[in-house]
Amino acid sequence: MNIVVAIKHIPSIADDLPVKGVNVDFDSVDFVLNEFDEQSIEQAVLVKEAVGGTVTVVGVDLIGELDAVLHLALAKGADKAVKITGDDPAADSHQQAKWLSEAIKGMSADIVFAGVQASNDLDGQIGAMIAAYLDMPYIGGVSSVEVSGNTATVNKEFAGGVGAKYEAALPMVVGVQAASKPPRYAPISKVRQIAQSATIEKVAPTGEASAGITFKKMAPPVAAGHAEMIEGSSKEVAAKIVELLKSKGLA
Amino acid sequence: MLNTVEKIIFILLAITAAGFTFHGFKTIIDSIRKGRPAPELKDVPGSLVKAAIAVLFQQTIFKARKVLSAIHMGLFFGLITYAIVNLVDVLEGLIPGFDLVYGGVHLPNAPTGLINAFNLIADVMSGALLIAITVFLVRRFIVKDKALTFRDNVLLNPKVKAGGQARDSLTVGVFVIMHVGARLMSQAFRLDAGADPFMPIASFLNSIFGASETGVHVAWWISLGWVMFIIPYLSRSKHTHFFMSPVNLGLAKQNPRGQLDPAIPLKVIEGQKFDPGAKVVYDLAWTRVMDAYACVQCNRCQDVCPANFQGRPLSPSALEVNKRYLLKEATFGSHPEKLLLPLTETVISPEAVWSCTTCYACVRVCPVGNEPMADIVDIRRRMLIDGYEIDSGVQNALQSLATNGNWMSKGKRLRGKWAKEMEFPVKNATEEPVEHLWFVGDTASFDERVIPNTKMVARLFNQGGLDFGIMYQNESNSGNDVRRVGEEGLFEQLVEQNMEAFGKAQFKQIVTTDPHSFNTLKNEYPQFGGKFEVKHYTVTLLKLIEEGKLTVKNKLSNYKVTFHDPCYLGRYNGGFTAPRKLLELLGVEFVEMPRNCENSFCCGAGGGQIWMGKVAPGERPAENRIKEALTAFGEGAKDKAQLFIVTCPKDMIMYSDAVKTTGNEGKIEVRDIIQLVAEAVMVVA
Ligand code: SF4
Ligand code: SF4
Repeated sequence: MNIVVAIKHIPSIADDLPVKGVNVDFDSVDFVLNEFDEQSIEQAVLVKEAVGGTVTVVGVDLIGELDAVLHLALAKGADKAVKITGDDPAADSHQQAKWLSEAIKGMSADIVFAGVQASNDLDGQIGAMIAAYLDMPYIGGVSSVEVSGNTATVNKEFAGGVGAKYEAALPMVVGVQAASKPPRYAPISKVRQIAQSATIEKVAPTGEASAGITFKKMAPPVAAGHAEMIEGSSKEVAAKIVELLKSKGLA
Repeated sequence: MLNTVEKIIFILLAITAAGFTFHGFKTIIDSIRKGRPAPELKDVPGSLVKAAIAVLFQQTIFKARKVLSAIHMGLFFGLITYAIVNLVDVLEGLIPGFDLVYGGVHLPNAPTGLINAFNLIADVMSGALLIAITVFLVRRFIVKDKALTFRDNVLLNPKVKAGGQARDSLTVGVFVIMHVGARLMSQAFRLDAGADPFMPIASFLNSIFGASETGVHVAWWISLGWVMFIIPYLSRSKHTHFFMSPVNLGLAKQNPRGQLDPAIPLKVIEGQKFDPGAKVVYDLAWTRVMDAYACVQCNRCQDVCPANFQGRPLSPSALEVNKRYLLKEATFGSHPEKLLLPLTETVISPEAVWSCTTCYACVRVCPVGNEPMADIVDIRRRMLIDGYEIDSGVQNALQSLATNGNWMSKGKRLRGKWAKEMEFPVKNATEEPVEHLWFVGDTASFDERVIPNTKMVARLFNQGGLDFGIMYQNESNSGNDVRRVGEEGLFEQLVEQNMEAFGKAQFKQIVTTDPHSFNTLKNEYPQFGGKFEVKHYTVTLLKLIEEGKLTVKNKLSNYKVTFHDPCYLGRYNGGFTAPRKLLELLGVEFVEMPRNCENSFCCGAGGGQIWMGKVAPGERPAENRIKEALTAFGEGAKDKAQLFIVTCPKDMIMYSDAVKTTGNEGKIEVRDIIQLVAEAVMVVA
């Protein structure tokens, strides 16, 4: 079984996010792996452990630092790592989806995993667009995947705690919200060992995205209003809340 | 005294006993040798002699349980005396006419004075032994001292659960009573001319039972025949500690307390490859295999364990006891396959492994130099390598440490944010030379609740004219707790990052806020080439005041304070005096809690516990500590504010929380010592 995971390197929001022109100042931020991709790597490895096969992780190298992420994926159980030498930190989800699907085309993938969305553009497009480019079905918002023979059973979560179970014929693309188990920890000694010995395949980006996002302006949000902390004993606090609700005509 | 047949029987018995004893100790030594290489020990004869002296004066047991320790001392001297007494008794049995009663009247040229002294000591010590052993038996079987039991949730070897230890104690207890009792009787029966003033107890018994030739024989056989059975038995019971604990003490850890053994032995043995940490018992260093044989099974370590206190399934003594029973079943018994079972199934439960705060209290208190904590860290190390599912909070912390260099998921660049907000420039030590490189640490750098104190430290340093700087985004977590969680690879990565940063900086010494960073920088970085002078900020502040660079303008006599010794400053590194001296100079009323200095009680945050996502039920150690402080303050006049003083940013968080959860707000307040210093020297903000 050929399992492919498409990942995305995104600016870290652990720092203050500096703005330059109409985009993030990419020179002053660290890049990290999209957190939903951590989930999709885990789900891919779990599927491999259940039914066998190989996991190939592929991502666009936006700032020349993707190797560390790929080494981590290998330490967590992926078998092959591929990086697309994109070298454009501003490449949006449309462009990345195009490059990724061109790279995945030759991998005869049975199942492709992608994080359901990423916190930088929050559009949830990569998985769906890869599916369109590869002409495969797509299910997003998935919280567990089981494969047996030529079909995958996936659980999808809707708002309000409603879930649905789908059965789909492979090949397909899955947008992972959460893996069926929390992502495993890769001990650093293992990651470092892999960093010394692993080879990462490099491919050139091919294809132009048909449409994308155009930035007009980027600015940090302005704080509007503020929270009022109510002090005092629990009784006093309760009384004040009741009073407040009354004053706003809610009780 | 003995007839020929008796002599032959006795000699045959003695040879058999010697054979079994030899086999017993050979089995033990073989098993110890199967452990991994331990860090090199220096001057072994010297430390064995030191240990022998410590044992002779029973120094190490007096660290806790003073009364019982005194009784143990009686037992110890009694048994030492009895080793000689038994020898003399054997001679009395084997050599015709060798009889020491009445100062040796029947012997030609007897040194009467010496014999009388010997008789008196032997007689009195017999009494001491009987009393001591009775106390211990009463304690275990009648009073049923809780300290000798384990919690239900602690993993125990089935044999221990079935009362193996109690049976063992009873066997040896009954032996001592019979042996000593019979010896006293055999002496009493010898007194055919009435009382011997140098044998008061035997004379008393003689006044009741009289003298008897047959009696001497029977009593002699009961006394010494027994010994021939019990000596081989000892090597197979917890009483091996008679022999093994002095040796263990002599071969105990020599490296600083704050330096963990490496995950893989440094000593390379031809053809041997080691995985990091420990999965099975022989993955432990040989010195720690030996711990199991030296263990007295006294549970003193359990008494001081904060995790055990909280009701978590960890007992350091159960770990040693289980190790011992495992080794016994595998080496003396017929279950060698048990040696291949994971320690997490045989010795300590995974949940217990992850309950340890690495506070070192167990190792410190152990009278025989055992290191249960070191085993726990080794087990964690292997669990991490083997992909054992770890607590999600710990995992998040480790992941953040790997990517951000801090456990709080904050960007590297934010580390120096507080410093940029100061009213004076704080030097970047990686860009310009400074005298003091201040290693701030994660909590003090990032936690909003602690940052005001961090800024206060900066102000005081500044006011005291200290030439200092920080490393801003170049500083990474020191790795102290990472190492104790068992993530050796990440620890090494953090050390490398910090060493690289130190390489860019020019400084004379390092000063730390966090005792945890202090510990690893001082004790572990040297092994990675980082040899520098490291000070805790309490020492630096004290120096500034003593040198007159900061002046106490405002005596704080309106405060009644107590002080919590953080494990990594106090017990690990002996930093007891600087904070106390500081408090004295500030003029506060100082109250010591019962558990202080070496005996301080852990707040519960160390060894990665502060990262745990899952909060264990039960009274938390920090909560208990707040209550201890309030009790120490007593009911006295409430005209003074009662303060709980800490010198560790983690403590600030742990204890402020505990004051709230115990509902003691208004009665006691947690303050960092820096806040008091600032108030006393009237810092200019
Ligand atoms: S180090 Fe502290 S928490 Fe860990 S076992 Fe020893 S006493 Fe208990
Ligand atoms: S490890 Fe030490 S303190 Fe703990 S039970 Fe054994 S001898 Fe006692």
